Amino acid sequence: MSAKNLFLKPGFVRAPLQNGVGRYVCQLQRIVLKFCKSHGSSRGLRDYIEQDLVDFAKENPGVVVYLKPRRHRGPIVVAEYLNGDRVWMNMHNKTHAEITKWIDVLRTQQGDNSSTRLRKYQYTDHPSIQGPWTPFTFKNPALNTAELPNQAFGANDRLPMSATEQLRLMFEAQKLGKNEELKTGE
Amino acid sequence: MALIRAGLQRLANVFNGGQAGVLSRFVTSLSPVESKTVPETTKDVIAECNNLIEKNASRNFAIVHLLGKQWRVTDGDLLVVEGYWPPSIGDKIRLDKVLVAGTKDFSLIGRPLVQPGLVDVTATVISKGLSHTRTHFKKKRRKQFMRINFYRSPQTILRINSVEIANKINEAPKNVF
Repeated sequence: MSAKNLFLKPGFVRAPLQNGVGRYVCQLQRIVLKFCKSHGSSRGLRDYIEQDLVDFAKENPGVVVYLKPRRHRGPIVVAEYLNGDRVWMNMHNKTHAEITKWIDVLRTQQGDNSSTRLRKYQYTDHPSIQGPWTPFTFKNPALNTAELPNQAFGANDRLPMSATEQLRLMFEAQKLGKNEELKTGE
Repeated sequence: MALIRAGLQRLANVFNGGQAGVLSRFVTSLSPVESKTVPETTKDVIAECNNLIEKNASRNFAIVHLLGKQWRVTDGDLLVVEGYWPPSIGDKIRLDKVLVAGTKDFSLIGRPLVQPGLVDVTATVISKGLSHTRTHFKKKRRKQFMRINFYRSPQTILRINSVEIANKINEAPKNVF
């Protein structure tokens, strides 16, 4: 059990025959309940057959239900799906409530999910509608006609201001201040 | 003198007359700033967007919020929603929490949601099953501690049937909530 799920077959999300595009088709086609009439391990399955099976068959007219009593064998449920999957499930000593839940899972799923590990949780035929992002999307179109290398576009504005630059700025500011003083003096 | 002046004027007109005269080939005809007021431009943009929607020019997409996750969906997508979720197989549902909707040429950005009634995202529940068996393994070294648990989480597969944008952008929202 422990090592089994580490080496599962990986797969992608698929739905057989474009299911759900126009209409929805229930994927469960056939369900076979195998049980023993006398053994205690089939007790839950026998309860289910007595109480819920007729309702199940009425609610799901698209599903073929078979009952297969067999002497002194364990209770088994086998579900067959539209995509050819066959799910075998042991119902040994399971209670009525548990069996109701498991049969509902078998009814609603679309195949054998347990044997594949999903690699992606979304499937799309159209991965991009406005076009994939490139480094030039949303950039200034002036870049198209600029001749590179260009001082304006090549400047690394992500670096913090260096000490030299700061000194130069201070010097410039000082010069400007002096000029202004001179002007005001004039 | 006047004659010469008139001749010069005509010559100047040849070069400068109309848009740019003879030199028009060398001048870019793009006028950078249109002489329209801002509200007028907005109106034009909205009208153009409505027009695009009516023409159904390209595929629509929407970003919907579903069970704490955001999905970018278009027609025919498959989504796998993990965790407990009540809808059953064959149910047709509308995904109401639309954060962004758009086509190839424009996007409608919600703050935080696009107004109700503008975008219609419908989906069908295709399958409700369980994932593969996942292993939850914990071990602490030199502490005699080890746990191993197995679990399968419920998975619901959704088929997106349609992403439709109504061509009434800028109309007053009908808040039904």
